[in-house]
Parts: sequence; C-alpha cells; structure tokens
Amino acid sequence: MSFHDQLEPLKQAALADLRAASDLAALEQTKGNYLGAQGKFTALMKQLGTLPKEEKPAAGKLVNQAKIELEAALNERRAELELKAALPKEPTDFTLPGRRRPLGKLHPLTQVTEDIVRSFRKIGFVVADGPEIEDEYHCFDALNTPADHPARDSQDTFYLGTPTKSLLRTHTSSVQIRVMEKQPPPIRIIVPGRVYRRDNADATHNPTFQQIEGLYVDKHVTVADLKGTVEFVFQELLGEEVKLRFRPHYFSYTEPSFEIDFSSPMVRKMGKEWLELAGCGMVHPQVFENVGYDPEIWSGWAFGFGIERIAMLRYEINDIRLFYENDVRFLRQF
Amino acid sequence: MKVTLNWLKQYVEFDWSPDQLAERLTMIGIEVEGMQKLGGEFEGVVVAEVLTRDKHPNADRLSLCRVADGQGERQIVCGAQNFKAGDKVPLILPGASLPPKPGEQPFTIKIGKIRGVESQGMLCSPQELGLPDQVDGLLILSPDAKVGQPFAEYLGRSAGDVVYDLEITPNRPDLNSVVGIAREISAVSGNPLKLPEIQLGTSSPTSVDSLVAVRIDDAELCPRYTARVVRGVKIGPSPDWLKNTLEKVGIRSISNVVDVTNYVMLEIGQPLHAFDYHLLTSAAGNRPTIVVRRAAEGEKFTTLDGQQRTLTNQTLLIADESKPIALAGIMGGQNTEINEKTVDVLIESAYFKPQNIRATSKKLELRTESSYRFERGGDIGICDWASQRAAQLILQTAGGQLASGVIDAYPHPATRKEITLRHHKVCDLLGVRISAKENVKYLRQLGLEVSIENAEEYCLVEVPTFRVDLKREIDLIEEVTRMYGIEHIPAPPPRGAIGSHPYDAVHDELADARRILTGLGLNEAQGQTLVSDKSAGIEAAIPLANPLSSDMNVLRPSLLPGLLDALRHNLNRKNNDVALFEVGRVFGQNNGQVREERRVAIALTGLRHPSFWSGNDREATCDIYDLKGFLEEFLEQFGVRGVTYTRRPDSTALYLESATIQLGKQTIGELGQLLPPLAKRYDLRDAVLLAELNLDLLLARRNTAKTLKPLPAFPTIRRDVAMLVPETTTHEAVLNIVRQTKPQNLESVQLFDVFRGKNVPTGQKSMAYAFTYRHPERTLTDAEVNAAHEKLVEQFKLQLQAAIRES
Repeated sequence: MSFHDQLEPLKQAALADLRAASDLAALEQTKGNYLGAQGKFTALMKQLGTLPKEEKPAAGKLVNQAKIELEAALNERRAELELKAALPKEPTDFTLPGRRRPLGKLHPLTQVTEDIVRSFRKIGFVVADGPEIEDEYHCFDALNTPADHPARDSQDTFYLGTPTKSLLRTHTSSVQIRVMEKQPPPIRIIVPGRVYRRDNADATHNPTFQQIEGLYVDKHVTVADLKGTVEFVFQELLGEEVKLRFRPHYFSYTEPSFEIDFSSPMVRKMGKEWLELAGCGMVHPQVFENVGYDPEIWSGWAFGFGIERIAMLRYEINDIRLFYENDVRFLRQF
Repeated sequence: MKVTLNWLKQYVEFDWSPDQLAERLTMIGIEVEGMQKLGGEFEGVVVAEVLTRDKHPNADRLSLCRVADGQGERQIVCGAQNFKAGDKVPLILPGASLPPKPGEQPFTIKIGKIRGVESQGMLCSPQELGLPDQVDGLLILSPDAKVGQPFAEYLGRSAGDVVYDLEITPNRPDLNSVVGIAREISAVSGNPLKLPEIQLGTSSPTSVDSLVAVRIDDAELCPRYTARVVRGVKIGPSPDWLKNTLEKVGIRSISNVVDVTNYVMLEIGQPLHAFDYHLLTSAAGNRPTIVVRRAAEGEKFTTLDGQQRTLTNQTLLIADESKPIALAGIMGGQNTEINEKTVDVLIESAYFKPQNIRATSKKLELRTESSYRFERGGDIGICDWASQRAAQLILQTAGGQLASGVIDAYPHPATRKEITLRHHKVCDLLGVRISAKENVKYLRQLGLEVSIENAEEYCLVEVPTFRVDLKREIDLIEEVTRMYGIEHIPAPPPRGAIGSHPYDAVHDELADARRILTGLGLNEAQGQTLVSDKSAGIEAAIPLANPLSSDMNVLRPSLLPGLLDALRHNLNRKNNDVALFEVGRVFGQNNGQVREERRVAIALTGLRHPSFWSGNDREATCDIYDLKGFLEEFLEQFGVRGVTYTRRPDSTALYLESATIQLGKQTIGELGQLLPPLAKRYDLRDAVLLAELNLDLLLARRNTAKTLKPLPAFPTIRRDVAMLVPETTTHEAVLNIVRQTKPQNLESVQLFDVFRGKNVPTGQKSMAYAFTYRHPERTLTDAEVNAAHEKLVEQFKLQLQAAIRES
C-alpha cells in the first residue's frame, strides 16, 4: 500500500472523529489518538524516514498538508465545544423578571411644583419663601383684609396655643408682604409653600395644602402682562390646547381682581365647559402703601393657585387625601 | 482695510492719541484689528524759531537762546555762531535721539545744565542730523518753515505714523476708503471733513470727445462709465510721499500713474483703471471707442497678471472695437497696460453692478482690491470726482496735459433716496431720550442732508450715494445709536427683578437633596404638618388653639411621626416593604419663640431588595446598616464630609438603639431602630429604621466645590490585616489609630470582614482590613510599604491589644 493510500483514509477517519467529539475531554482524547506521541498519525509520520529518497519530498508535503488540516479541524471543533460549554445548562428564560434597582420617585406635588417653578424661571421669576407660622398683620392687615373681614373668621384659621397671637398662614400671599418689606421694587417672585385652612379633611379638602403665589411689581405693569404671563405658564403646565378665561372677582388685596377659569378637552370630558383654576389681580394700592411702595410709580400683579388642584387635574386624581397618605403604590405612579 | 494716522489727518482734524483713535473707531463700529506704530526719521526733531540770542553768563563761546517750538518757548544753550534771532532752525527735544553715527550708540538728548544754565533741548547742525549739507554751525531753514512742524515733514521725509488695520463690515462699502473713515471721525468729533480741493489747471484745447468715445452695451451691468485722457505724461517712479503712503498700507509701488489710480481708490474708495491710450485700437483715422459689453461665450483674455482667462457671456468686459482691454471692475488687460513707454493715459472711473462683479470674481477665482470694492457696492456718485482727482495727481506726479472735458456715460442718473425718521422711534428703540435736535445733528455730522429739521415729530433724510447701507428708518436709528454712543445708553437691571431672593438658591439645594435620595431608591413622602400629640416620639410640640380634632392638634416637631403614619398606612394595605424620605419643615419653641426648621428624614422597613425569584438573601430585611448606607451616600453626594456617629448608651422613648450624628461638635441628627413596642403600636412587624437630619445645618455646612484629582498612574500595593480585638473596639477606634500613625503613602483603608465564631474567643471579634498604598509619582517598592505598614500594625497591637491573625 502506497504512503498516500495509507494517509488519506487515516486523515478522513481523524477528521470524522474530531468532528464527532461531543465535549472538550473527548476532543482531547481524539487528539491524542491521532496526534499524540503514540497516535496513529504520528506513527505514519515516522514511516517517512523509511521511504525511498525520491518519494520523500512529495510524501513530506502530503503529511504536512494533512497535519495542517487536522489541526484546523481540531481548533474549529475546540472553539465550538468551548462555546457550548460556556452556555448555561438550560436556556435562559428572557421573560423572567430582572433584578430591579428601583429608582425612588418624587412626590407628585413636588413634581408639579418643580414644573411650575421651571416655567416661571424661564420668564425671570425667582423662588421666594417665608414662614408658615405668621402673625395677623402679614396674613391679613397688610393685605388689606380688615379685622371684620369674613376671611379672618377664626372658623377658617388655625391659631397657635401660644401666648403670641400667631396663626398658620392661610395663603402664601403673606410672603408678598414680607418680600416687599425687605426689598425695593422691581420684584418678580414665585412662592410655593404649605398653607392651612380649618377645613375637615374630605375628598377635596385637607387642612394642609399647597399654594403657589406669583408677584410682579415694576413700572407700567398691566393687566395685559398678567394675562400674558398666566397664559404662558398654564399652557406650559397643562398643554397648548388649554383655554383661559378671566372673570371679575373680589380679593381684598387686589383691584381689579379676577378668577381664572380654564377649559380643555379634559374639562369637557368632565361634562363642564370651564373649571376654576386660580385667583389673581392687580396689587391693591393700599397694599403698596402698607409696604412703603409708591402706587403712583409702581404697579403690579399677583396670582395664586393650589398645587394639589393642578396635580389633580393633570393626573386625574379625585381625592386630595391621597397626597398625604404616602401609599407607595400611589407614589410610584408618578 | 488699512489706513494711517497721518493720512486720516489730511481729511479731518482730531487731537486724539493713536490709542484713543483706535478706541473711538471701535466704539462706532469700526473694529481695529491691528495697530502698528512706524518710527519715522528725525523723531522728536521740530522746526523752531530763535526768538532771542544772548551771551551765556558763564561762557564766552556759548549763547543762551529762547526758541519757539510750536507748543511754547524753551531755553537752549547753543555753541554755534552762524545764526541770529528770527532764524528757523531744527530743534531736537529732550528724550529724542540723534541719528546714530555708524558704529555708535544713538545719543539721547536730556534736559541738563551747561555751565550752570539749563538747556531744554538742542539746536542741530546738519552733521548732527546726518544730513549731507556741510555747514559750520546750525542748519538754517527756509524763513517760511512752519514752527512746530516735524522736521521730517519739513524735509518731505517719512514721519512717524500709525497703521491701523480695520475690519470693515460688509454693509459699509463706503468705509473701504480713507475719506470714508475720516468722515466717520468727522461725525464723532464734530470737526468738518476736508476733501482735497481739485484744481486741474488749464487743460489743453483738445477735448476728450475728440480722442475717445464710450459706448455702454449693457447699462444694467455698467450704469456709469467716465473717461478722461491725460497726454504727454512721463512714466517713472512715484514721489516719496506717494510711494510711502501706499507702502505703509501694504500696496506695492509700481509707477507714478498706476500708483495714482491705487492712491485715489484707497483715498475715496472708487477703483480706477488707467489704460495706455495708444494701445487702444481704432478704425483708421477714427478716435477709439471704449465698448462696455458682455464677453462672448468662451472668449479668451489675458489679464495683466499674465493669466489667460476663458470668459462666459456673464462676464462684463471693457473693450475697444477689436479686443477686450479689461475685465470690468476686476483687472485690466496686459494688452493696454501702462508701461514705461506710455505717453497718453486714459483714466476709467466707472460703476459696475456688484452682483455681477462678485459672480465673475468668484468664477475666475480672481479677487482684487478693485473687485472687493465693486462687489460690495461702490459710490455711483463719486465716479467723476475720482476721475478728476486722479487726473490732478497724474499731472502732479507724471506731468502732461489734460484733455478738456470728460466723457460721462451715465444714462440713468441715480436719484437720491429719502428716508423719514420719526424721532420717537429712536427713543422707543434705544430706551433713552434723544431730542429731535440731537438726532438731526448726528445725521448731519454723518454727511447726510436733513430737511424739515424743526419738526418735533420727524425729519426727512436724503441719503448720499456713498451710503448704500441706509435703506430705511431703522438704519438711521442705528446711525443715531452709533453717534450717541452705545456706552452712553444706561444698563438698568432687566425689567422685573431677577435673582433677588435668597431662597431661590435654597430651593435648588432642597431639590438636590430630593434628587439624591430618589436616586438611592427612596420614595418621597409628604406628611401632614398637623399631627396628634399622641404620636410616637413627640415630647414637646406647639399646640393649636383651635384644633379640628385630637388627630391633628399639634404642629409636627419632627418629620418622623408623619413617616410612621405613612408606614402604618402602607403596612395596613400590605405594602410591607417601604423606604421613604421626606424633606419638610418642623416647628418648635425656643424661650417662647416659635421656630421653623427644615429637616430631612428617612424611614425603612421590610425587605432590603425588591422581591426576586432567586438568591440566598432575598428574604433579608433592612437593618441599621442599610439606613446608614443611605445616610453615608446621601451626605457624601450632598457635599457634607467628616460626619461621625456616636452610639447612645441607652434606649430612648423612640429608639431601641440609636446614635447621634455629628459634624464636628455639632449634632446634626440621629438614627436608630424604633422601639419594638412602638412598632407594634403602628402595626409594623419588621425592624423599623429611622433617621432625621437638620437640613438647615446641612445647607450651611455643605461644600459642593469639586476639583479633579488626577487619575492615578502608578500601581497600588495592598496589605491585608485581620485582627482579633475586644467586642468593645469600634471601627472608629481602628481608624483613629490609622489617622494618628499616618502611614506613608497610605491611600485607603477598607474594612472587608467582621467575624465572630469559629476560632474567635467569646467577647472578641475578628476585623479584617485592606490597606492600599500608592505613591502619586512612582511605583512603590515592597520594602518601603512594609516599613510603613509594620509601624501601623505595631500600633494596633499596642493600643488595641489586637492579636494579628496570620493568614
């Protein structure tokens, strides 16, 4: 049998065995069987020396080619088997839930407040604050709300059981006074914060709730400015399609005063045309006089609205108490 | 665009220093990109007049003179004998230097005493000034020399000058000329603009019409073309003043006639071209005709830079009857160029349509001073003036005689545009009151003609042809603004105060705190301000005078009662795993004064991780180290460092076990585990971990400044130490020893195991630390780390009675 006749079947057998190896251990075993010191292929190579001189070069070339082929097949199979070994025993179920790293959520009232603040800051307002425990002067008198005014009914206001006649502010408007007392015009502030009214908690009332107040004082500030600003902010907050309506109203610290109603597809879905949203007006000259601003030089507007109300409209929440229960199933939705 | 100080001064007077001029130009919208001072000859030498000449009191051979230097009088001691009172002589002023003799340092003149008498300068001989004249004594100047004139100027030599490189905005083509800049200076200084007077002398009886004709074939592309002819010129080098002027602004001097065309272009902004008249072809016996026409498609033409160019029918050409002679408005042709044999010169001064010049210039990639000006829009009204000015200067520098008259092909003379300026619009736009009178004054100073000046409401402004940028009212308002001076418009704060409340920044800091805590996975709660005085952990709270119910009868003195209420609410609804925080205000009393304080609080209960379907620790519930981990990460991210924790020895009314949190000596909060009986009262089953911090104190002590620490470039060496210590030994105690011992190159310490049990005696624990050493600038050796590390281990043994466990 010629050398070539021996080589070719051996090579074919070796290739078949390598491809058939079912795991890495079997592969190494097969490799030993052919290419190891005692392997069949190694044995054949040893026969080279016994060949006649003239046959040696051709035979040597054949053997080398075959060896390269075998090694290539070995490496290829090894790579396949290594990949197979790396796979988990059972296929991964990609539909199983992942290991979550939950992000905490901001309270919906915080989110709404931040959105309002962002809108106002775009147009040059800064955020201001003031105390929640107030005196009667800042909460009422300075805001042109005299002692016999119905808004000062102690039925509506929480007073502290301390010797001072302190109370919990009933609106953020008290901060208007505090800011104007401290700094000269022009003023452009918004004041988010908690306020308190002596209402029993129900779906639409909570003794603690949150307001945001805007105050703009400068020369030549007009009702038109007020309308333009309010429309800008509410369209940012509630969407471009929101329509606003200003209705004459009464507040003791603004003159003229207005209530702002809004209309949107959502309001109409609720079966209404207009929904009350906020109160506003031009700062009353008496208020300016109280803080030492000359109403002949300065004019301004103020408005205020409830943050819960905006959040309830935006998220279609129907019970104000949900905000203060802090149920995690509620909090995680926003 | 380059101009020089002295050149500008020929057209307008001003007494600003070179730097002041730069400042003024910049402030009226002509940005000075560069300024170069050129030293002149005879710096500091002026023409002076000898007023008196007396004998020096202390020296026979010296005289004591009073001289006028144009600014005032000076006393000079002089040794020369050849002069008398009334003579004009060169005077070198103190601080100036005589021209150095070869190989010597320049000699600087100072005020000094000569034989006891002060001399404030020196009268000069020609030798001292390095002039060739041989005179024994002073150089006596001509009697009509102007006192105070720089000597260089008297001699016609180049005086010192300043070259300005100006950025001209594309809307102001009129400023691409010295006169244009001077007009602006005239407008801001109020000094009149002095255009050079044109005197052409007597022209020859031959009229230009008999010498040449002009035919415009495309009046849209060439609305105006003027031609003059000067005959009998002698082409040669330009005189020094012309050469110097051009060279200072970066134009190479070529010959007198060519230089004149360039000079006039720079002076007035009108590009000119001079042709050699005799190179124009004409039908035999006829005068040549200049034809302004479009090129034929593919027509070839060699410009005077030697380039042959292929043209299109969009190219405007100047031609004679047989050949093109110039690319209109861009470059002349080689075939009719002025050369040394030129005798008769044809001066072209025309106006070409800017768009066409721009298109051709771009297409041929050929940009010249001429195309630059035409494509930006020239002054159609100045063509003839510029032509006369060029003729005048050619006669002056190259001789010859001007053929009488001008050919001015100007089929549709431009009408002057009128713009109405309503005075109140100026005030409305600028926000300052400028009177009608002032507006009119400013516009007139700019060379605009203003009618109806006494009307308070408006005025009519006639726009001269050189101001192609003035198209409508707003352009006039801009002119008024420039003249009024932007620097004089006040800058009041934006309408409506911006950034004027101290809380504005605090609002963002509170938002930072919330952002970090939600990032850590805590949900934000907002509790009731009004709580019950029976709530857990309430000792002293401000009561309401008129509460609605006993559930809400006090102001919260802490955020924790509200968080406990929230936990109860959740647990009652089978939300067993709750991790909340709140940022809010609490209320207290201090000596009868009510006080509001911002706090942040955290409450945890239930599973440590969200429920998962695998893993050994999935049942693990939160413990105190979960809470502490939240606090540590929060404080670090919030920018509060150096916080320590001190265990309270005993349980409190609220806590089973708790610690105070300190920043230095100040207590900023507390953390701990809720007392189990209280937990039960709130229906809470798992351990409840609570922490509360004073946020106002954190805001005050917060430091958010960050500076990059370079990333380490060298490797670390780590040494682990496991030691047995008594149970009472705290981690803080171990760290304190590290701080005291300060091992060299120690980068970090990390506790990686605390173990009790097998092989650890009762009452002891094993603590294992990794110490990482690194040097910022080199690789550490084992030996030096070992030395530092062993000292530290010694201290552990010594101070903590630690038994080191060999691994």
